Amino acid sequence: MIEFLVRRACISAITLGLITVIVFAGVRMIPGDPARVMAGTDADAAGLEEIRAKYGLDDPIPVQYLRWVALALRGDFGESIRTRHSVAWTVATKLPITIELACVAILVALALAIPAGVLAAVRRNTAWDVVASAVSLCGVSIPNFWLGIMLILLVSVRLGWLPASGFVPLLEDPVANVKRMIMPALVLGTALAAVLMRQTRNAMIEVLSADYIRTARSKGLAGFAVVVRHALRNGLIPVVTILGLQMGALMSGAVVTESIFVVPGFGRLIVEAVFTRDYPLVQGVVLITASSYVLINLLVDVSYSFLNPRIRIRGRP
Amino acid sequence: MSLDASRGAPVAAALVLPPAAAAPAGGLRRGWRRMLRRPASVAGVVVVLVFIALAVGAPWIALTDPLRTDWSQIRKAPTLAHPFGTDDLGRDNFSRVVWGSRISMQAGVFSILLAMAIGVPVGLAAGYHRGALDQLVMRLTDAWLAFPFLILAIGLVTIMGPSLTNATLAIGLGAAPTYIRLTRGLTLSTKEEDYVQAARALGAGDLRLMRRHVLPNIFSALLVQATVSIPTAIIGEAILSFLGLGVQPPTPSWGTMLNAAQQFLESAPWMAYWPGLAIFSLALSFNLAGDGMRDLLDPKDY
Repeated sequence: MIEFLVRRACISAITLGLITVIVFAGVRMIPGDPARVMAGTDADAAGLEEIRAKYGLDDPIPVQYLRWVALALRGDFGESIRTRHSVAWTVATKLPITIELACVAILVALALAIPAGVLAAVRRNTAWDVVASAVSLCGVSIPNFWLGIMLILLVSVRLGWLPASGFVPLLEDPVANVKRMIMPALVLGTALAAVLMRQTRNAMIEVLSADYIRTARSKGLAGFAVVVRHALRNGLIPVVTILGLQMGALMSGAVVTESIFVVPGFGRLIVEAVFTRDYPLVQGVVLITASSYVLINLLVDVSYSFLNPRIRIRGRP
Repeated sequence: MSLDASRGAPVAAALVLPPAAAAPAGGLRRGWRRMLRRPASVAGVVVVLVFIALAVGAPWIALTDPLRTDWSQIRKAPTLAHPFGTDDLGRDNFSRVVWGSRISMQAGVFSILLAMAIGVPVGLAAGYHRGALDQLVMRLTDAWLAFPFLILAIGLVTIMGPSLTNATLAIGLGAAPTYIRLTRGLTLSTKEEDYVQAARALGAGDLRLMRRHVLPNIFSALLVQATVSIPTAIIGEAILSFLGLGVQPPTPSWGTMLNAAQQFLESAPWMAYWPGLAIFSLALSFNLAGDGMRDLLDPKDY
C-alpha cells in the first residue's frame, strides 16, 4: 500500500515536472522578444526591464526555467497584460464559478447515468438496453455547443422558461443562480452522462455475473436488493476512476459551455485571454489546468486504493 | 508503408504457421455477416460515404457560390432557391453546409493521420524495446494527456495563430498520445505471440519484426480507433472554429456558421439547425461505423 502510494506520487511529480517544461517551452515558441510577450505590446521600456529582471531573461535557458518554476511554486504566475491583476488572483476569482458549474454537471450526469446504466445492465439485451445505448451514443456524438444553442432556442427563445445567458452569484440570489445554471450544467453533463452510462452498464454486467451475486440471489434476496446492496457498490468503483479521467473533458466542455451561456468562469477567461493575446494569463491557466488534472487523478487513485481492499493489501492495482 | 505491411503479413505468417493465415479471411467474412446484422452500423457507413461524396463533389452539388453575399436576401427563411435559408450576409446556407463538409472532413481525417503518424512509430518503438525509452515515452504521454484537449488546442493556437491548418495540427498533436498508448499496449501483447517469436527464431531483425509481424496484426485495432476518433476531431475543429480559433471567415465551416447563427436565434433559427445537424449526424455515423468495424475486424466475438 505505502509502496503503491509512493510510486504513484513519484509518477505524478514527474508528470508535473514535464508539464512545466512543456508550458515553458510553449511560451518560448511564441515569436518575438520574450519580455515583450510577457509584458504586452504597449509596455514601456521600464516595464520591459522589470520583466527582464524578474524572469532573468539574460540568463541561460535552464536557469530561466528554474527561476520561472520557483515563482510558479510560490503562486506567482505573473500578471495579466490586460488587467494588470495577478494571474493567480484572476484565476481564483473565476474558479468558484466553474467549480459550481462542474459540480452541478457531475450531479446531473450521475443522476442520469447510474440509473440508466444499471437498468441497461439488469435488463441486458432488451429494448431498455438498446434505447439506453442509443441515447448514450447520441450523447457522445452531439456537439455540446450545438446542444447548448438548441436548448437556448427552445427553452429561452421559444418557451421563455429560463434566461438564455448570464450569471448571478449563488450567495446573492440563489434562485436566479440556479435558473442560470440549469442549462449550462445540462449541456456540460450530457457527454459525461453518456460516457458514465456506458461504464456503469459494463461494470454492472461484469459484477452481476460474479459468484457472490449468485450466492446472494440463492440466499433468497430479492432482485432489487441484490442489485443495489451488492452489485452497485462494487460496480461503481471503476465509474469513480472514469469520473477522474473525465475531468479533462469536463474542463474542455466548460470552455465551450461558458462561452455559449456567457458564464464568467475559468473557461471564458482563457478564450478572452487568447483573443487579447494575454500570454501570461493563457500560460497560467494552461499550467493550472493541467496540474490540477494530475492532482485530481492522484487523489482519485489514492482514494480508490483506500476503497478497494485488493489494492490496499497487495500494493498494486 | 502500412498497406504494404498488411499485404505482406498473411504470407509471412503462412510460412511459419499455416492455420494463422487461414483465419483472417474466414474471420473477415464472418465479420461482414455480423456487421450486416447490425443495420445501424450499415446506416452509419452509408451516411459517412454520403458526406464524403458531398465533400468531394461540393462544386457540382452546391451550385450557388458559398461566398457570394446578397444584400437583398439577408436571413431569409428556407425556400426552394435556398433550401436551408440564407445567413446574415445573404449567403446560401445549403452551399455553405455542403462546402463545410470539406473543411470538417479535412480537419477530421488529416488530424487523425497526423496523430497516427506520430503515435504509431513511437508506440511501436516504446512497446517493442521497453526499458528507458519506454519509461520516457510513457511519462511524456502522461504529461501530454494532462492537458485537457481544448486547453491544449487553445494553447497551441495561441502560439501558432488561428487557421484551419493550425487547428488541424493542434487536434492531431492532442490525439497523438492516445495512439502512442494504444500502439504500445498492443505491441506489448503482440510481440509475445508465437508467430512473432517464430519469425524471430528464423532470424528476422527488429525492424522487419515490427513492420511485417507486429504492425499488420495491430492494424485493425488502430483502424477501429481511428474511426472513433475522427468524429472527436471533427467536433474539435467545429468547436475551435466556433470559438474563432480555427477556420477564419468567410470560409464556410460548420463551426463558424454556428458562431454566426448564435446572434440571430430569434430572427433566423434555421441558421443554427443545419450546420449543427450536419456535425451531429456525421459524428454519430462515424461512431456507428466504428462499432460495426470493431465487429468486422475483431477476431474476438462480442
